[in-house]
Amino acid sequence: MSQATQQERPDDEPRGAFTNWVDSAIKNPEKVYRAMFFVVVIFFLLTTLFPLYWLTMIALSDSNRVSEGVGLLPTGFDPGSFVEIFQQIPLHLYLFNSFVFATLTTIFVLIIASLAGYAFGRLQFRGKRTLLLTVLVISFFPPASFFIPLFQLFSQQISFLGLTPPELYSTPGGVVIPLSAIFMPLAIFILTTFYGQIPDGLEDAARIEGTTRLGALFRVIVPLSAPGVATAGILTFIAVYNEFFFSFLMTGAQAQDWAPIVDGIISYQSQFQIRYDLMAAASIVAVVPVAILVVVAQEKIVSGLTSGALKE
Amino acid sequence: MATEQRQGYGFSPVSRSLNWMENLSEESYAYVLLAPAFAVLTAIALWPLWRTFRVSLFEDNLFGTAKTGGFVGLENYVNVLTNQNPLLSRPLIDFTGGTPFFRQALLVTLAFAILSVVFETLIGFGQAYIMSKEYRGRRWVRVSIILPWAIAIVIQGMLFFLLFNPSVGFLSDPLQWIGLFGSNPLTSSSNAFVIVTVADIWKTSAFMALLILAGMQSVDKSLYDVAEVAGASPLQRFRHITLPLIFPALMVAMLFRTIDAMRIYGIIEASGAGCGTVPSLSCLVVDTMFGTTQAYASAATIAFLTATIIALVIVGYLVALKLSPRGSYQ
Repeated sequence: MSQATQQERPDDEPRGAFTNWVDSAIKNPEKVYRAMFFVVVIFFLLTTLFPLYWLTMIALSDSNRVSEGVGLLPTGFDPGSFVEIFQQIPLHLYLFNSFVFATLTTIFVLIIASLAGYAFGRLQFRGKRTLLLTVLVISFFPPASFFIPLFQLFSQQISFLGLTPPELYSTPGGVVIPLSAIFMPLAIFILTTFYGQIPDGLEDAARIEGTTRLGALFRVIVPLSAPGVATAGILTFIAVYNEFFFSFLMTGAQAQDWAPIVDGIISYQSQFQIRYDLMAAASIVAVVPVAILVVVAQEKIVSGLTSGALKE
Repeated sequence: MATEQRQGYGFSPVSRSLNWMENLSEESYAYVLLAPAFAVLTAIALWPLWRTFRVSLFEDNLFGTAKTGGFVGLENYVNVLTNQNPLLSRPLIDFTGGTPFFRQALLVTLAFAILSVVFETLIGFGQAYIMSKEYRGRRWVRVSIILPWAIAIVIQGMLFFLLFNPSVGFLSDPLQWIGLFGSNPLTSSSNAFVIVTVADIWKTSAFMALLILAGMQSVDKSLYDVAEVAGASPLQRFRHITLPLIFPALMVAMLFRTIDAMRIYGIIEASGAGCGTVPSLSCLVVDTMFGTTQAYASAATIAFLTATIIALVIVGYLVALKLSPRGSYQ
């Protein structure tokens, strides 16, 4: 409505379009609600997307002129920063490391959470509620309260019975193991919901045909719950790829030492020569894989977050 | 029963354990299946939590390889809570009032959690509302709203570092002009606090929106039809139907977000503000452990206090939910 007020009121003349619009709006309030609704939609689209658009404009700006400030259009034009980010540091290696962490964690979490989700979703046993609640409570604790002993353990400062565990600091294990525990509760809740929905008859039929108990889980229940497994997998993958705390603190800064994308992007902030265009370009390259995942798997993300979170 | 018929498994340990599993009762089988998950959770969460507590009962040993010295009981806790620990880069809390508000880790963390959750809830309602309606292009609206949630913390940090950067960003100048921000906002505690909070709201409102959306979709549609026939405006429909019915789901969502907000660390580092400027609780743990002092016992004390404070917040929420008249919906 406010747009209309500014545009359509020229002077004191009896007005055409605006008066008509007001008249129809009074007769038909739904129309006003509709107009307001789309104003709100556009507002939210601008707030979520504009920062990313602007980031792209910085990346496309000329490196010598970028510090003049960047507005709606790039200041100067030089897409070369998208090549240079791979030359200054091995950004592809950092990306690769992040992919390895995310993939390993996802596989590990899916297998273990499948077993637990099957037990919680399909079996009757004493202490079910208590154990489910324990999983939930564990997921509430902050990473900082686990970090000190894990750091000591992974950098060989603790030994058990005279045995020192292998050094996991700056290896995939140093990140994958803690993150598996941290993101497992959500996967357990999602899989519990999905596995619980499969009719008993299908599992019984497979068992009568001679499938083992574990076989029934992995050959019947898991395939039938494929959407649920995919949901849990996608959410775990995104969560690990985006994680900061352990990814940053459990690895060194060099890509050769299994440093993930966190360190790759941060390294542009601490460089001697400040290159805003490279910071932006590296960020965009690192966003693209997850952005694709969100576009493709939007439905699954929505259903997974809501079903997993509202379980309790 | 079926055990004898199964061939081709031989007598390998795998087949023996498979056979063993076939003969378990349902209850024992459930425990076997849960064992790996609980083993991981015990090793990576419960054991570290317990050890963090134990380390916090010893004194700091700054120069040895052992990191901790003699047993001191709860002395570390007393020192941290009374601001008597010289090894901390920022106080956890200073009751004497000698430390500015934005330099006290507990206050910074609580203020951040409250502000971000309140704004995320309000914005989340708006976003959930536009995601719930049917119209052309809704899929893309949903994707755009979820996108910030899926962006890595380090990139979110970089984005806000650039947005508020005095030379390249466009937000710093106008805010400085109206007198809200200083010349280099990321180095001022109060300004950087605002930036970090806004960054979190930008990224996480979508999560809130999705949980609210799920609550909205579980509301019986016919209630709205009745209300509309009775002449209720959209606002009244929201106030008298949507809000009371999704209240339990909303409380759960707010609890989740509060817990998550109290862990804040990554965005502080990645936005360039740094832990010295915006000292959150997690920041203080990391700074105490890796800073110039490497005070493991003091760091463990703060880590355990952080966990305790979060536990208190959870209990507070649950009590509030029980006491509230609407709690009976759950």
